[in-house]
Amino acid sequence: MTLHFTPVWFIAVPLLLAFLAPLWVRWRLLMPVLFSAQVALFVLALSWLPTVRIAPILETIVIAPPLGIHLHLDAIALLLVALFSFAGAIVSAFIWLDNGAAHLRERPAFILMLLLIAGSNGMVLTGDIFNLYVFIEIVGVSAYALAAIRRDKTALEAGLKYVIVGSVAAIFILFAIVLLYLQTGQLNIAALAQAFGNMPAQMQLLIGLLMLIGLSIKAELFPFNFWVPDIYRGSDPEITALYSGVLVKAFLFVLFHLTFILLADPTVARNWLMALGAITMIVAELVALRQNDLRRMLAYSSLGQVGLITLALAFASEATTAGALFHMVNHTLIKVLLFLLAALMLRQYASLKLTDVHGLSRTMPLAAGLFVLGALAVLGLPPFSGFISKLWILKGFADVQTFWPVALILTAALIEAGYYFRWIRVFYAPTDALPMAKIEGEKTLNYAPLLVIAGLLIVLGVAPFLLEDWLQQAAQALLGREALLNAVLGVQP
Amino acid sequence: MLEVLELFDRPAVLHSIYLIGSLILFFIGLYGLLAKRHLLKIFVSIEIMELAVYLILIAIATTPGETAPILSDGFTAFTSMSDPIPQALTLTAIVIGVAVTALGTSMAIQYHRLTGKVSVGEMTELKD
Repeated sequence: MTLHFTPVWFIAVPLLLAFLAPLWVRWRLLMPVLFSAQVALFVLALSWLPTVRIAPILETIVIAPPLGIHLHLDAIALLLVALFSFAGAIVSAFIWLDNGAAHLRERPAFILMLLLIAGSNGMVLTGDIFNLYVFIEIVGVSAYALAAIRRDKTALEAGLKYVIVGSVAAIFILFAIVLLYLQTGQLNIAALAQAFGNMPAQMQLLIGLLMLIGLSIKAELFPFNFWVPDIYRGSDPEITALYSGVLVKAFLFVLFHLTFILLADPTVARNWLMALGAITMIVAELVALRQNDLRRMLAYSSLGQVGLITLALAFASEATTAGALFHMVNHTLIKVLLFLLAALMLRQYASLKLTDVHGLSRTMPLAAGLFVLGALAVLGLPPFSGFISKLWILKGFADVQTFWPVALILTAALIEAGYYFRWIRVFYAPTDALPMAKIEGEKTLNYAPLLVIAGLLIVLGVAPFLLEDWLQQAAQALLGREALLNAVLGVQP
Repeated sequence: MLEVLELFDRPAVLHSIYLIGSLILFFIGLYGLLAKRHLLKIFVSIEIMELAVYLILIAIATTPGETAPILSDGFTAFTSMSDPIPQALTLTAIVIGVAVTALGTSMAIQYHRLTGKVSVGEMTELKD
């Protein structure tokens, strides 16, 4: 008997492994299982690339769409699933090799991290809107619990804030789904897309607004992102790496997937979403200038990049979309790198306030060096991949003579340079104090996952053509409403 | 008198009553969420908002006179039966809602045990 690989594996495998957790505890295999599961899913995703390039894979569960639930694996879903598994693999490798953070190597954290990955994969793959809600809640619950997993004052405060804001967002999303169902009697996203245009205009607006509020809270867009820095400051940096790298990307995808597929003419929402992205970017970058805690600064920097990605995706042209997707990949890599560095620094220094990390480069030269590398990549300087993705976005705008986003993006990059170099200057500040004694358990092996990311940032920067075809196809898949409707509803036996 | 009662039995009127009632409930929840600072009151408000959404779904999708969508003695065809999907969806959503609320309240209790605080206004640990 041969095993038949289908898209549902991306959801089922992490779930199954999570439920079998007692076995892994008994056999002392928790971390190896966590790591190898992500690597296996990543390899599986890559192995599917040739097939998906030809045609998207549609997997029906029990009944054919529009009645049943189906999973839709096209170029963009595959890209994101691969990205999530890769980020998951890096973070779990880091936690595995690390001697600190014992609470992250126990059973609860293991289960929650697998659920988080399973839910994110599900959000990207599913073709049914209620199924989407269920996955949003799976991701939500595991994220709330992960935020509080350290169970001290700060972690619990972060978890509580997250659970309150997150469940309010989920109510708005559920409300929009309920109205959609009552209006159309459909739950399949493709069937909804066909019926959406026939609804009364006010109803369309109401549903759109409810969805936008709910998903903006989850995807951390202005003005619904006031809570983000607190959560990023209170949770473990290893976990925030997953939030910034996986969770936000999944919600951004859902936001734009729904926008592009429900609206026959996405230009209706273009100006609104672009304005939202631009404001998010500028406000976050300006506020980041004043942050005196490294994790809060990274949180605001992450918001700024999310704003940039939103701005570029909302323009809905193929060039900017491909650039934005590339920037999504880069931003995940960079933020995972920076947050994991923050985890290492936090272990050594116990506080990441600007005044406490003077002369960090003398104690942790490699960490400081990698921080500089990450900062340069996020600013978009060659030879790092951030340069290429920003270049694609700017070129996409300039080619159609739209210059205000170009000006804004460049201004934002300047502000970004301002605050990243402020931190770098502190790291390399000359001090009279001797280097701090290394804390126990600090070893070079800790840096292995980080060096992998650093290498990848350079490789993708030097050779962007490795991903170019895939990104182009992903952009076409995201924008290709007709093709998706045909694939799901067109040919039915 | 009877006409008035019959008027209330008409689907359109009934649905409007349900809709208005649920929306009032929704805004009561929203008010509680924004105006109250006590952690448990916030969770109660969130639950009320959630409940209002479930009510809208269930109430509008059902019309008086419809029977349960089960084929049994006497019922052999799917006529004048209510749509089972909203009920399945609501059940799922209720389960999810309970799980989230349980998680939230257990965190709130732990937080109270650790710090003695019950109000979101006092949560200042994460600010600079």
